[in-house]
Amino acid sequence: MVDQNVFLIAYILPIAFGLLLMTKMGDSLADPLNGLSPRMAFARGRHMLGLNLVALTGFAVSVHTTWITFKISEGGNVCSSATVFSCDDVLGNAQYNVDPVFGISWGLIGMFAFGALLFITNSVGKEPDALWAESYLKYGKLMTGAGMLLIALLVSYEVRMGKICQFCTMAHVANVVCLFGFWKAGKLHEDGLWNDNEPSDNVASRE
Amino acid sequence: MKNNIEADVRTDTGIKVAALFFAAMMFLAFTTDPIRTGTQEGDRAPALTGMAYNGSGWSTFEMSDYLTTNWTAGDAEGQWMVVEFMDTDCPYCVRSAGEVGRDADYFTKRSSNHQSHPGVGPWDGPIVNFVASATELDIQGHDTSRSEIVAFRDKSGEESCAGQSCANRDGPPHNFMYIDDIDQDNMKAWKVPGTPAYFLIQPDGIVAWVSSENTQETVFDAIMRLTTEA
Repeated sequence: MVDQNVFLIAYILPIAFGLLLMTKMGDSLADPLNGLSPRMAFARGRHMLGLNLVALTGFAVSVHTTWITFKISEGGNVCSSATVFSCDDVLGNAQYNVDPVFGISWGLIGMFAFGALLFITNSVGKEPDALWAESYLKYGKLMTGAGMLLIALLVSYEVRMGKICQFCTMAHVANVVCLFGFWKAGKLHEDGLWNDNEPSDNVASRE
Repeated sequence: MKNNIEADVRTDTGIKVAALFFAAMMFLAFTTDPIRTGTQEGDRAPALTGMAYNGSGWSTFEMSDYLTTNWTAGDAEGQWMVVEFMDTDCPYCVRSAGEVGRDADYFTKRSSNHQSHPGVGPWDGPIVNFVASATELDIQGHDTSRSEIVAFRDKSGEESCAGQSCANRDGPPHNFMYIDDIDQDNMKAWKVPGTPAYFLIQPDGIVAWVSSENTQETVFDAIMRLTTEA
């Protein structure tokens, strides 16, 4: 079986790239991305692309985490390690690998959460000027904010176990980056910059 | 004619996200065969860990170290395990200690015959390891300690077990490990309501038999029936 940690790189890259698109550094990518869609010439378009990418990666990591949880339950070793980074020990711990209320696997909860975030980011990405867009971004901020509380709970479990689940951490990072993305989108709204009127410097100079 | 474009975007996105979710669920369904973790028959047994006394000292015990994850039914090489949840101050645990010790000696092939079942010959089935998880029930008068666990296992010392000297409990000294579960961590994880409670675990970690679900069958009978069936 492929070393599961290889997949981590496949998750780090889109999250890092998505974060890049949501920051000032993303302006330098306006030119190459302009060919993808005219909206990419504007900070708002790149921001939503970045947010979509991170939410999609979060969803993929959650699917992977659920898959590992199920595989461990079959009795297999997927990412067992003697070091502190051993997702087998975390995801295989029956005491902590499900939510304390409904007993649902945390990976499955992540799939639902990132699925909902994907719906928000995709919808707003396609219709950023829709009347509901601003409200949806607020819902996204609230969801990812609530996610921080769950992350705190899960990290406390990891501290108790003395083990870290790399894949879970990657999903946590995706949630944090999404929270940043929704917060920044709200700020763009507040500052009156949520429009495609002012292309970034690169595109402006090209024109 | 006016079209509600905004609604179209959300419907379209909703369908796409639902399709993605459905595809992910299909992938999970086709590539995995999850087994519930729990303590009912057919479940994967939860972790059983702690500091254990083996007759000479205390060391870390992890049940997973004794499991054969790739075990298949019929493989006589795999070692089964009986997990006993007990309390050194539980009168029934004290009374049944003799029988448990005789079962353990017989099924680990330490003893060639079974005193309580003289008709059966030497055990030629797979080795069945025994381990006891010694807890302290939240009942008045139940006050155990590591030294009491040692006294119960070895039949030694001055400790008192359920109102009598531990050294006078039924049966010979035990030869299997006793886990310190005074904090009830294992007991809670295994959802054990009372003691004694017995679980027969297959070599691959699946719960094969639970005493609370089979009150008419003894541990001895369960092992005889299930290890030969498998």
